Amino acid sequence: MCGSVYAPMFTQLLNHPNHHRAEVTALITRSVTHLPGITPSMIERVFVEGYRRFKKLDVALSAPLNILVGDNESGKSTLLEAIAIGLTGRVNGRWMVEELNPYWFHRPNVEEYFGSYGSQQSAPPPEILIEVYLRNDTAVQRLRGVHNSASTDCPGIRVHIAPSPEYEQEFSEYMTKQPPPVIPVEFYSVDWHDFADQPLTQRPKELATAYIDARTIRSTSGVDYHTREMLAEHLDSRERTSISVAHRLGRQQITDDVLAPINARIAAENPTLRDRSVGLQMDQTSRTSWESGVVPQVDDIPFAMVGQGLQASLKVALAMSRTAGTSTYVLVEEPENHLSYTTLTRLLARLQHLASDDQQLFIATHSSFVLNRLGLDRMLLLHDGRTATLSSLGDDTVGYFRKLAGYDTLRLVLADRLALVEGPSDALVLERAIRDATGKAPLDLGVDIVSMGGLTFRRALEVCSCLERQVVALQDNDGKEPTSVVAPIEHLLHPPTRVLFVSDPSNGPTLEPQVIAANDDATLREVLGLTDRVDLATWMRNNKSEAALRILDADQRIRYPAYILEAVAVLQ
Amino acid sequence: MNRLTLAVAGGRKTQGVVDECAAAPAGHRILVLTYTVANQHEIRTRLATRAPIQAQVHVQGWFSFLLGHWIRPYLPRQFPNRRLSGLNFDGDPGIYATGVCRFLDEGGRAYKLHLAQLAIMTSSASGGAVLDRLLRMYDEIYVDEVQDLNGYDLEILLTLLSLPIDLVMVGDVRQALLLTNPRERKNSQYKGIQVKKWFDERAAAGLLDITQAATTWRSNQIIADFADSIFDDSWGFEKTTSINNGVTGHDGVFVVRPEHVDAYMPLFQPLCLRHNANSARSLGLPFMNFGIAKGRTCERVLIAPTGVISDFLRLGKQLEDLAACSLYVAVTRARASVAFVSDVADTIDFPEWTP
Repeated sequence: MCGSVYAPMFTQLLNHPNHHRAEVTALITRSVTHLPGITPSMIERVFVEGYRRFKKLDVALSAPLNILVGDNESGKSTLLEAIAIGLTGRVNGRWMVEELNPYWFHRPNVEEYFGSYGSQQSAPPPEILIEVYLRNDTAVQRLRGVHNSASTDCPGIRVHIAPSPEYEQEFSEYMTKQPPPVIPVEFYSVDWHDFADQPLTQRPKELATAYIDARTIRSTSGVDYHTREMLAEHLDSRERTSISVAHRLGRQQITDDVLAPINARIAAENPTLRDRSVGLQMDQTSRTSWESGVVPQVDDIPFAMVGQGLQASLKVALAMSRTAGTSTYVLVEEPENHLSYTTLTRLLARLQHLASDDQQLFIATHSSFVLNRLGLDRMLLLHDGRTATLSSLGDDTVGYFRKLAGYDTLRLVLADRLALVEGPSDALVLERAIRDATGKAPLDLGVDIVSMGGLTFRRALEVCSCLERQVVALQDNDGKEPTSVVAPIEHLLHPPTRVLFVSDPSNGPTLEPQVIAANDDATLREVLGLTDRVDLATWMRNNKSEAALRILDADQRIRYPAYILEAVAVLQ
Repeated sequence: MNRLTLAVAGGRKTQGVVDECAAAPAGHRILVLTYTVANQHEIRTRLATRAPIQAQVHVQGWFSFLLGHWIRPYLPRQFPNRRLSGLNFDGDPGIYATGVCRFLDEGGRAYKLHLAQLAIMTSSASGGAVLDRLLRMYDEIYVDEVQDLNGYDLEILLTLLSLPIDLVMVGDVRQALLLTNPRERKNSQYKGIQVKKWFDERAAAGLLDITQAATTWRSNQIIADFADSIFDDSWGFEKTTSINNGVTGHDGVFVVRPEHVDAYMPLFQPLCLRHNANSARSLGLPFMNFGIAKGRTCERVLIAPTGVISDFLRLGKQLEDLAACSLYVAVTRARASVAFVSDVADTIDFPEWTP
């Protein structure tokens, strides 16, 4: 049904002769019309145990839009992958049973198993459990039951990878031979059930899922499985059949016209083969079905040969046109890749529009821009197999970051320990102060110094407080009493985890007079390389960054204002 | 409103279900339940010829319905940590088995014998979830061959009757031959054709409307009248009207002496029916048992009567329920003619066929 609805768009996308990048972009931004009859069935919870980096991960979800952020290796992609496995039984477009390999198992579990094998307290063989819990909606009642680890009555899907009872004996024989510490997946079975305990053999039709990975184009034939699946869904069965028949006829024609004379020559030249006729023909088996030979094109250029940015846009556009009517779940890997600022902005607008009662989006991103734009409160932070959210963040703060989309919010979110300072010069001076006190660079201490750059301390601290981040903030007094500076944001502080130090107003309103007050004139002039003729205060005010850089790079140490020293003491 | 249509043999019960499914509006979700596999196949095939059907129609067997909707999703609520691995069709846990052993075998398969009871138990253990799930999945439930339900199956029906969902049942209680569990004490007073009383009582309680469909497309009027006569008037069945007016030259009910059977067979090629493997061995004909013939249609049948059937034919002596139903099934297979083999043909009040 959907294929025919969107067929015009597909044709326009791929066949328009004067087609160029701008039009692809235009298609991405085209407003989405939702088809009727699709009822939502939001994923409310994902439980992963023993899969890759997750010993145990229990994520509660409630929103149509979920932005997964985290350090490299924090498991963003792994979580998307787990959701995709649960919903579709596929990973990278292939059946999980075929893809199952020893590295799926949580490494510490594997080590514990092999390490303790045969001892008094041997650990059980590693298992993998992936459960996707759905909201109790009418459309997914078929999947409803209590067969899940929480014994909750709701619809959902469960993947359980465990030693197969059938191979119990072979498995234990294998283990007695002191094998290398690699899980013998041959003795494992994959159990894919819904919560009603009905075995699944294919993706339940209620759970249409689109997986959009703009990072790489995997398949050697130029188009990966997901893209091909998208394309196939734009064609109705009559169109597919006609392509298939034409493809078959074409191949037969090559056999008849081109290969026949060659076969005659082979027969003539090889008398030993005469009792059996040996020759060549075009492969007509299902392996060579048209799907593997047909690729999308843009401006008559094969899809794989156009730029990666355009590929990414195209994939997203295709996925979305389909998605608008049929997919309930859209999983997007790093949409920021290969896209220009403008294209990305439009794409994000569209993604945001897509997340609705009808669809649930999961977006893994490395980009603060994406995060700020789509809404900080939709963030799901993955860290050490745990998750944190900013859902309690005030709407005004979410809106604030959306406007300040260029701000590197992910640094606030991802840092182990944070030092928040007013500006770049404060950052440089603090860095030097830390080095003087500890002999180490801040990053070696796990401290990320972030300058506010237009952001207010209140907004930043609100984010840090939601995430219970360790943070030290250094704020100028701007001529006010420290207590009156602290008062409006005191509720966001939580000593000793979140502390704020304000400079002493009697030593001047900002960093530069504070530094001047803490040092004697001669030392400072030497550090800054200034002669007596220059007015120290004026020069520093007019060359803030330069002054800070010279302090950072100087051989000689300066003395630091009290509020900086207090901060350094906490950070140590 | 819940409805039961009591149809006569050849009354196109199944066709009625198919017609209603085909006429249902788009978006309507219908579950069609039948007792036998043959009938499921029949309904699926007939639905396929009516494509495209607007409504979503799901055809399922009675046991698979109990397993899939009542037991499997919530089994752990009744028996913690247990999973269902299938159906034990022939097994018997014995009358002394209690607890989980009464319902599941060692391999986790549910005994067919106590399936409906397990379904009822699991449903109540689920705290209403079984029924809530069912209600949200379907707008209407059809039950074909409803006469074959008995014991705890009737408790399932009662539950469905009480739900805010339309239950549409069709059946012919005069063809009630199958018993899930002959030993079952629950509702034992409603076994076989007596199930009609169960329905009459539910109708009296306002749970359903009963209508009779007394037109047959199959048997001619002579056969239909004879079939009607097998049951006492006290049952309250309407008189069957046949709209099969075909004439073949050998129409109606006949008697054939055993020595004439060899001549009768090649001439009319009837379907040969008997009570069971022990009946009428001397005749050496390709017999089929009454029970297995259920659901079939043929031009003619030849019946080897049992002693009680002979008594009924000769003396009009009323048959007990099961025997009556068996004979009704046998007779109503035929469109044109029914012949009884009897060596006392002259004592039976039907025309005798001679070569």
